Amino acid sequence: MTDRSLLRVQDLVLYFRTSAGVVQAVDKVTFGLERGEAMVILGESGCGKTSLAKAILRLLPRNVQRYDGSVFLDDMDVMRLDDDDYRRRVRWIKISMVPQAAMNSLNPVLKVGDQVAEPMITHFGVNKKDAMTQVRRMFEHVGVPLDFVKRYAFELSGGMRQRVAIAMSLVTSPDLILLDEPTSALDVLTQANIMNVLKRIKKDMDASFILITHDIATSSELADRVAVMYAGQIVEVDTAEHFFDEPLHPYSKKLMASVPRLRADQEPEFIVGQPPSLLNPPKGCRFAERCGFRFEQCSQEPPLMDVEGRQVRCWLYAEEFEKVHAREAGA
Amino acid sequence: MADVPMTSEAVSPPRERGRTSSSTFVRVFRYTAVRLLALVLSVVFGVYLTILVANMGGAVDDIRRGQIREGVAMMLSMDPELRQLSRAERDALSAEFIAIAEARFGLDQPFIIRSFRFLQNALTLDLGRAEHLTSDSGSREVRQIILERLPPTLVLFATANLFLFFFSVSMALFLSRRYGTFLDRMIIALSPASSAPSWFYGLFLILFFAAMWGVLPYGGMVSAPPPAQTSAYLLDLARHMILPVSAMVLSGIFASTYSWRTFFLIYSSEDYVEMAKAKGLGARDIERHYILRPTLPTIITSFALMLISMWTGAIILETVFNWPGLGRLFFSAINLYDTPVIVGETVVYAYLLALTVFMLDFVYVLVDPRVKIGGGRGSA
Repeated sequence: MTDRSLLRVQDLVLYFRTSAGVVQAVDKVTFGLERGEAMVILGESGCGKTSLAKAILRLLPRNVQRYDGSVFLDDMDVMRLDDDDYRRRVRWIKISMVPQAAMNSLNPVLKVGDQVAEPMITHFGVNKKDAMTQVRRMFEHVGVPLDFVKRYAFELSGGMRQRVAIAMSLVTSPDLILLDEPTSALDVLTQANIMNVLKRIKKDMDASFILITHDIATSSELADRVAVMYAGQIVEVDTAEHFFDEPLHPYSKKLMASVPRLRADQEPEFIVGQPPSLLNPPKGCRFAERCGFRFEQCSQEPPLMDVEGRQVRCWLYAEEFEKVHAREAGA
Repeated sequence: MADVPMTSEAVSPPRERGRTSSSTFVRVFRYTAVRLLALVLSVVFGVYLTILVANMGGAVDDIRRGQIREGVAMMLSMDPELRQLSRAERDALSAEFIAIAEARFGLDQPFIIRSFRFLQNALTLDLGRAEHLTSDSGSREVRQIILERLPPTLVLFATANLFLFFFSVSMALFLSRRYGTFLDRMIIALSPASSAPSWFYGLFLILFFAAMWGVLPYGGMVSAPPPAQTSAYLLDLARHMILPVSAMVLSGIFASTYSWRTFFLIYSSEDYVEMAKAKGLGARDIERHYILRPTLPTIITSFALMLISMWTGAIILETVFNWPGLGRLFFSAINLYDTPVIVGETVVYAYLLALTVFMLDFVYVLVDPRVKIGGGRGSA
């Protein structure tokens, strides 16, 4: 790990208790993130992407069954902090988030400007006037007209609300911004606008991003690195160039093949079958059932293997992995 | 402005700022007028219905006629002078007396005509005179009777209801943060206890605290004779209030806490509450600005209706505790067919209810920016 390292998530587990049984929404997730880096976490609905975001931010619902692992932020294991310390030292100081649906994420009876100012007032103890100055600066930054500070959420369009939510996530200049499908509730034009705002912010500010999305096409514009989630696990972590060129994991391959392309003759493919239930995930590789490359070893759970600096959870790469290991052991 | 592409989405729905204030005035005025008219109509309708019911659609007149006849016959038979008159003379005299008495009660006019006069009097708060009941000072004025009974009812029900309301709301808020704890489950388990009415608890409280242990009085509002000193009087009043207030609190507290707790649980799982948590706001800030503030309209409604409900008192509870309040007055009035008292209590209640509903509309506008008076559009 270099000193550029910001976030290190290790064996993060989040299980929910439901009437049907235990849902393994986030299962031993491990990844790292550097300063100023943007990572995209890709995955289809129900694969545990949003639960991962909530686990990182410790926004737990009432029915948590198991929540452990480590989350290192600047080499401090924030999982060890108690709730109040966590609130004071991590929330919105180090990590902020842009929610999935900004429609419902703004308090309907408070002016949006006040809501954006709140973290400033709570964490930095600044007075209302100074906080509002910063709010105006942020509104300008994300392209919200300044007189909107006095408006209520219901008086704003969807795109404007999302911009307000982005302004809110930036107001305390946190190190890491979690974007949980920030554009999925918007129309295509607005999506493009928001993505432009995000790209500009990424360029201007020294913040790291985790963009959680199912939208491969738009995510490719922002990503430095890509993590693919499948059935509660990370199955591949890769640099963006490598991943979008030639993903390793069979699931990633299928995922990429399902994206329609502008200048290609081939029809987009689809992935046969359904992702497994997180209630009772299969013993071995969780993708095995839908996988075209399936072989015997797939009935055992594959570890996350390093393959030339890329990480993949698939037995197909076991040989290369062994080779690298052997070389390392020999050296 | 930042160098951001300003496309169509930047043009947000225009707030109706372009419109002149005169149109706002017209809108509010029209709304207020329509609302008032509707409320007045429902009060008129409700009061008239009460008049019809209290008079049993005119059947009470027959009862009164019977009572008059009986009274006149008794009077004639008791008077030795009149006994000497011939039968025809006595019948004539009796008919004359009956006619006078009926005219005095207005029974010479058909009920339907009188019912409208009752309505007019009731609506102008000319509550008239009671037929049987009197105030403790001996007055027959219904206004006097009600005014005399109002303070005992108010002091009892305000104490119990205000305590019940604020305690259950704050307790519920506390529990909604401690979902699934022992205390939370205990309140849920105990909530069926509220299906028993307050007087039921009252009976047991009297049994234990008055009859068995003799530490608190059986009932009444003050001891007889009442203490002369004000402080001693208040202390005595408080001692008499302990049991009825406890009975009301016992019967209401669990269900009320349970329902508020569920209400707050629903509202504390809103996305914006989670967002406030993510922002690292303190628990108190979240509670005040993100849970209480958005739910304020509901809380205020419930509070206002609770205030009005104090006006009626409680018939059985007041009877069990021998409390000289409006509930017992209502009960005696029904027993004695004392329609002016029944109608008097009802019309005051109806006015208070209408006034509260009317004011609530304006309070909503103050506490919820999404509500706009008379605004069909733009309001969520």
